[in-house]
Amino acid sequence: MPSPASNWLASARAVFTKDWRCELRSRYALNAIGLFAVTTLVVTSAALGPAGTNSSLAINVLPAMLWLILLFAAAAGLPRSFVHEEESHTAIALRLAAPPSTLFVGKLAFGVSLLLGIEALVAPLYLGVMSLEVASPGLLVIALVAGGYGLAAGSVLIAALASQARGRSTLFSVLAFPVLMPLLLLAIELTRNAVAGDAAGPALPQLLLYDASVTIAGLMLFPAVWNP
Amino acid sequence: MSSVSLSFEGVRRRFGRVRALAPASGRVSAGELLVVTGANGSGKSTLLRCLAGLLAPDAGQIEHLEAGTALSLPERRARIGFVAPDLAFYDELSAGENLEFFARLRGLPVARGAKLLERVGLPADRAAGALSSGMRQRLRWAWALLDQPRALLLDEPFQNLDVEGENTVRALLGEHLESGGLAILASPITLEVSGAVSRLELAR
Repeated sequence: MPSPASNWLASARAVFTKDWRCELRSRYALNAIGLFAVTTLVVTSAALGPAGTNSSLAINVLPAMLWLILLFAAAAGLPRSFVHEEESHTAIALRLAAPPSTLFVGKLAFGVSLLLGIEALVAPLYLGVMSLEVASPGLLVIALVAGGYGLAAGSVLIAALASQARGRSTLFSVLAFPVLMPLLLLAIELTRNAVAGDAAGPALPQLLLYDASVTIAGLMLFPAVWNP
Repeated sequence: MSSVSLSFEGVRRRFGRVRALAPASGRVSAGELLVVTGANGSGKSTLLRCLAGLLAPDAGQIEHLEAGTALSLPERRARIGFVAPDLAFYDELSAGENLEFFARLRGLPVARGAKLLERVGLPADRAAGALSSGMRQRLRWAWALLDQPRALLLDEPFQNLDVEGENTVRALLGEHLESGGLAILASPITLEVSGAVSRLELAR
C-alpha cells in the first residue's frame, strides 16, 4: 500500500510529466521563450558588441542585461502553464482530480526545469558573444540555478494567482514587479560578484531565502486561489 | 458496497447582479436518479457545479454522505464523477494518455482507463484534439467513471451522442445505479429514464 507521501509525489510527477509531454508536442512555451531569448541576445550583442572587454561595463551592466533577458524570456512562456488550463477548460478536470499542492509542485517543477534549460542555452551564448570572462564560474552557476529557480517559482506563483482573474496578462505584469524585483536585484548582485571574482556575500543566503519563501508562499496561497 | 446519499437544501448562487440559481433543495440516495430540469438559464449547470465543489454557493447546505460519514469539500470533489459540456481534456494527448494521466494523478491503476475507453467505444490512440463532439462526450463518460465514483453528476450527459453511444452510456448509468450508486442528471428537455427516478424543476 503506497504511503500518502509517495501518492502525493506520484501525483506531482504526473503533472510534471504531462506538462512536458504537452509542451514537447505543442512547443508553445519552448518556441516563445527560445525565440525571445535568442532575439534579445542578438539585439544586445549587436548594440553593445564585445562589451566584456570593458571591465566597467562587464561588471556593472552585463550581469543586469543577462537577467533582463532571462526575465523577459520567462515572462514570455511561464505564465501559460496555468492560464492555458483555465482557457482550455482542462482546469475543471484538474480541480476534481488532484489536490492543489500536487498541482502547484508539478507545475513548479516544469517551470524550473524549463527555465534552467533555457539558462543552460542562453548563458554560455551570452558570455561568448559579449566576450565576458567570469572570474568565479562556480559562483555564476550557483547564481543561475538559485536565481533561475526563484524566477521560475515567482512566475509560476504569479501565473497561478493571475489565471483566476479576467485581465490575466495585466495582472501578471502588475504582480510580477513587486514579487520579482527583489529576486532580480539579488541575482544581479551575485552574478556581478561571480564576474568580478568577489565572494558571494549576503546576496546568496538572501537569494536562497527568497527561493524558500516563494515556494512556501505558493504552497500556502495556491489552494486558496485555485479552489472556490 | 458502502451506502451513499447526497442532499442539498436552499442552495443558491448569484453572479454579480444576475441570479444564476434560485434556492434549490433535493435529496438522492443509493440506487436513485434525480433528474433536474428547467429552461435555459434556470441554473441546472450552476447547481451541479455547486454540488461538485467547483463553485461555492452563496447560501445553502450540501451534505454528501458515504457509509454514514459526511465528506469534506476536498473529499467531495475527489469522490464524484462529473460529466459536463465544458469539461475538456488535453488536445496534445491521445484519449488513452489523457485517462492514463488522470489515473496516475489519482493513484489508480492505469489499465482502468483502457478498459473504460473500450467500453465506450473510443480508440485509445486518437488525439483528444481530433475527437468529434460525440467522441469527446464518450471520453467525458470514461473520465467520470475512472475512479468508480458512488455519485455521478451529469450535465446534459447524452449531448452529441449517436444512438449507439447513447445506448452505451445509458447502460453504464443503469449499472452504476444498480450497483448502489446515485446520480443527478441535468437536462433542459424531458428525458425518458427508467428506475427509481425523482424530478426537480428549477425556476428561472
